[in-house]
Amino acid sequence: MVSYNPSYVLSFLPGLLSALPLTLFIVVFTITVGSLFGGALSWAQLSGDKVLNAIAKAYIFIVRCTPPIVMLFMVFYGLPEFLKWWLGIDINSWSRTVFVIIAMILLFAASISEVFKSAFEAIPKGQLEAGLSIGLTGFQTFLRILLPQGFRIALPNITNAILNLLKDTALAYTIGLADVMGAGNLLIGRNLGNYSLETYTAVAIIYWVLALLLSLLDHTLEKSLDYNRN
Amino acid sequence: MNFQYILETFIKALSGIPVTLGITVVSIILSFIPALFLALGRLYKVKGVTKFAIVYLAFIRSTPPILLILFFYSLFPSLLNNLLKSTSINVFDLNPIIYAFVIFSLMTTGTLSEIIRSAILTVDKGQLEAAQAIGLTNTQAYLRIVFPQAIKSALPNLCNLVINLVKGTSLVFVMTVKDITAIAKIEAAYGYHYFESYFVIFVIYILICGLIQLVFHFLEKKVAII
Repeated sequence: MVSYNPSYVLSFLPGLLSALPLTLFIVVFTITVGSLFGGALSWAQLSGDKVLNAIAKAYIFIVRCTPPIVMLFMVFYGLPEFLKWWLGIDINSWSRTVFVIIAMILLFAASISEVFKSAFEAIPKGQLEAGLSIGLTGFQTFLRILLPQGFRIALPNITNAILNLLKDTALAYTIGLADVMGAGNLLIGRNLGNYSLETYTAVAIIYWVLALLLSLLDHTLEKSLDYNRN
Repeated sequence: MNFQYILETFIKALSGIPVTLGITVVSIILSFIPALFLALGRLYKVKGVTKFAIVYLAFIRSTPPILLILFFYSLFPSLLNNLLKSTSINVFDLNPIIYAFVIFSLMTTGTLSEIIRSAILTVDKGQLEAAQAIGLTNTQAYLRIVFPQAIKSALPNLCNLVINLVKGTSLVFVMTVKDITAIAKIEAAYGYHYFESYFVIFVIYILICGLIQLVFHFLEKKVAII
């Protein structure tokens, strides 16, 4: 019979939760830097510069076609080897967290730039023109008129992108990082391969709660932004 | 950088393409019928279907695929072994690709049902009513009038689904299925040529996904004429 003891799920949770800060750190750091990079990518596409546009489009196409695990392996195994061969720099001693974050930023930037771009395109052009015509500079118009409106439009897609990022971060265990997923696998190893179903359930519960909190946050933000508008 | 090695690995990794595409195609075929019923059930407001679909989608959407794979890969073999104890089938001789089919179908069903539902919703309700008015049965009306029109709006989303599925199958190496990624991983560990190996499959994945996008682009053009 398949043994499954629900009480173990609860007893495994505290140990797994101790790895949660690392997962959250990776996610938050990636969102911050990745959004900047993604913003630059969408700016390159909207700026009208043909070369920049082509570069950004090519980057997004390539990342869209790359499985997250392959990106992670390329960055973790490939980057040190490549840099050593190319520039003679040794980065093998860097923490695994750094490699995970680099890979996640590369992935997240591409998906979030598409979100930014479509949100920006959804704002009526008159808004930009109106902002400029009352004497705001281009930057002020962007910051005070376009960004708040764009953010509201983009919010559901941003949530989706963050959710996907959270799921991709779970792959970090394959290179030996002890995030929530990695802690789960270590726990199974420590139990000599037993209670794997209970452990995975506990890990899944953590991800479910994170996703639930994320969608609740999205929901309240959307509501409060709607309220301000009316 | 060893170009001879890159070429050799490229040819070896190519032999993983049938596995990758096989899992993709089989998962879509297996999940199509349940997804269709789920979508129609929601459209016709069959009791319980909407609630089930929302809960199911929420769970699948918020669980990392790698976790689902590991969970079911620890569950299925012992479960099947238990069920098939009386028969002479040895579960542990089964090709693990079968588990991959099941898991990826489970993951695809939710997304596919959403795609089908939104595609059917884009077809004007008058079309179905007109078809019924001229005496077609419900099945005929759907098959001949609604679906051909719905396909048009479903194609871009289907393209996305297929690409995500191809990318998702790269995780099957944890189930010892030898797809493109698994072959590259073995090659990399064998000769310590990590960068070359992963670069090779990076290129292969770009080629596959580029081709898929081309095919869908062609299909979209073809459908647009109708």
